[in-house]
Amino acid sequence: MSTVLEQIEQQIAKLSNKAVKKNTGNIRTVADGVAKIDGLSDVMYNEMVQFPGGAIGIALNLEEDEVGCVILGDVSLLKEGDEVTTTGRLLSVPVGKALLGRTVDALGQPVDGKGPIDSKETYPVEKIAPGIIVRKSVSQPLFTGIMAIDSMIPIGRGQRELIIGDRGTGKTTITIDTIINQAKINKVGLASGDKNFRPVYSIYVAIGQKNSNIVRTISALEAAGALEFTVIVAAPAGDNPANQYIAPYSGAAIGEWFMENGMDALIVYDDLSKHAVAYRQISLILKRPSGREAYPGDVFYLHSRLLERAARLDGKGSLTALPIVETLAGDVSAYIPTNIISITDGQIFLETDLFNQGIRPAVSVGLSVSRVGSAAQIKATKQVGGKLKGELAQFRELAAFAQFGSDLDAKTKAQLDRGSRIVELFKQPAFAPLPIELQVAVLFAMQKGFFDPVEIKKIGEASASLKSFFTTRKEPLLTEVRTKAALDKDLEAKLLAACEEWKSSYTA
Amino acid sequence: MASPAKIAQQFARQLFSVSVIDGVVSAERVVGVLEFVEKHKVANPVMVLKAYHRLIAIELAKSIALVEHAGAINQTTLSAIEAAMSRKYGRAVKATAQANASLLAGMRVHVGDDIYESSVAGQLAALAASV
Repeated sequence: MSTVLEQIEQQIAKLSNKAVKKNTGNIRTVADGVAKIDGLSDVMYNEMVQFPGGAIGIALNLEEDEVGCVILGDVSLLKEGDEVTTTGRLLSVPVGKALLGRTVDALGQPVDGKGPIDSKETYPVEKIAPGIIVRKSVSQPLFTGIMAIDSMIPIGRGQRELIIGDRGTGKTTITIDTIINQAKINKVGLASGDKNFRPVYSIYVAIGQKNSNIVRTISALEAAGALEFTVIVAAPAGDNPANQYIAPYSGAAIGEWFMENGMDALIVYDDLSKHAVAYRQISLILKRPSGREAYPGDVFYLHSRLLERAARLDGKGSLTALPIVETLAGDVSAYIPTNIISITDGQIFLETDLFNQGIRPAVSVGLSVSRVGSAAQIKATKQVGGKLKGELAQFRELAAFAQFGSDLDAKTKAQLDRGSRIVELFKQPAFAPLPIELQVAVLFAMQKGFFDPVEIKKIGEASASLKSFFTTRKEPLLTEVRTKAALDKDLEAKLLAACEEWKSSYTA
Repeated sequence: MASPAKIAQQFARQLFSVSVIDGVVSAERVVGVLEFVEKHKVANPVMVLKAYHRLIAIELAKSIALVEHAGAINQTTLSAIEAAMSRKYGRAVKATAQANASLLAGMRVHVGDDIYESSVAGQLAALAASV
């Protein structure tokens, strides 16, 4: 008991007898998660301020005789005249590996009922993105496990790849698949004992989403065993706009910690359209001048400063960003989509029509692009799928023309036939990412014409049979493909022999 | 077009700027401003005067050190506080004492929107926040 008393006495002794200076203000008005405050003459831009009852705020508008603050936390207890004090600190969130497997709010506080997070470090939520000197170009792959993406629109570590499409086209599914695939790769890599293996930790930031959707995402990750490598930052639709505004930056801070400490991380912002809407709401309440679609003038900077924080650092780690943007009626030329398209290093466009035709993932080959990812693609994928994007784009064009007449020449018919097979082959169920070596094997079989005798409707079945054949009977060969990451003559011969063996055993 | 509240605020700021001489609120100028508002047809006079009052009150608070104390405080301490604050803020600061038993012991000095906390209540609050 005396130890406890001593601890308290020591703590009291620590608190110096010297006067402590505080800069204070009083709430003038409080509405919609935003407070206007008199005083606070020493407050700095973006400084954290303390409200009574434990709520904190961020000073966003420094005006001549008042300060506009967004309030993070419960605003219901605040009233006019309440005292607000400056803290001299920028908003920070807890970071570190202790957050893995946990769900936190925009301030990094746990919301999953699993108890407090034992995190020793904090990291500023707003930070200037790494400069030019410290960066390194993207050259290491980040496999999504989705064949259509890894072969045609490859993503590299440190890249920013936008996932864009209408609602219900599978945007979130792609990112969850990617997170699951990282977890699978991490497990294999860590079990192999390879000292050079670099695991990828994932951060999933849910902005303005329904709580039920967030629960579904967490369940999917948990079921796939990916939650232990993932941090969920949740700012659901029920949270105030300030929390929704700050959540992606909190997620970026958590991811940046991994990057700064020599690790690789992947961050998903789901989604930035809702983030822009939350920021618009705050800006309008703060009476900032509004521009196009009532968004404030700095809505571009809002996203550019966030996405610029994704990078690959020389001698350190990387942070790969997968922002999601929801379009309306497939309109990619709207304000927020065009802004983010111009910031990112490419986009994966998902089409409603393809989705409704049962082509899932509904990736539009024509509109999707990866500007830096090809440098990160492994040689084996390039060897087996280098021309796929062109072939598929040509197929889509031909298919559109073929609808007008049935009198097609043999070459066109062959192209259409091949295209249909590729489309069927790229169909992939949700939450079932494919390891890259298996993708190489399937694409190799397709390139060598092993699927040509198979009826188009049965391509999926044949592909599943081939995958099962390779995973159950050719595991060493797959490991060789994975470790070599390129197909030499010997490996090609082995793959060819394996495909022949499968062909002889497979009956459609 | 700017809202009436904004126009009143801007006008109050102009009135405030003419009321201050060398960083100090001039009582004569304030009387002059009040006479001006009374004589001339100023739009939204209540709104203007409220905003003006607020600006003057903020400015005046910068020249007053409100010393909250628990227990007795003598004139020497008040003079010392006046001298220290005048030195710190570069203007004449006048100290006024106000008893506040809830501080338990020590004192709290308010100058404008700055607070200098040296009370037991303040230290206990800081302790509670740090636990």
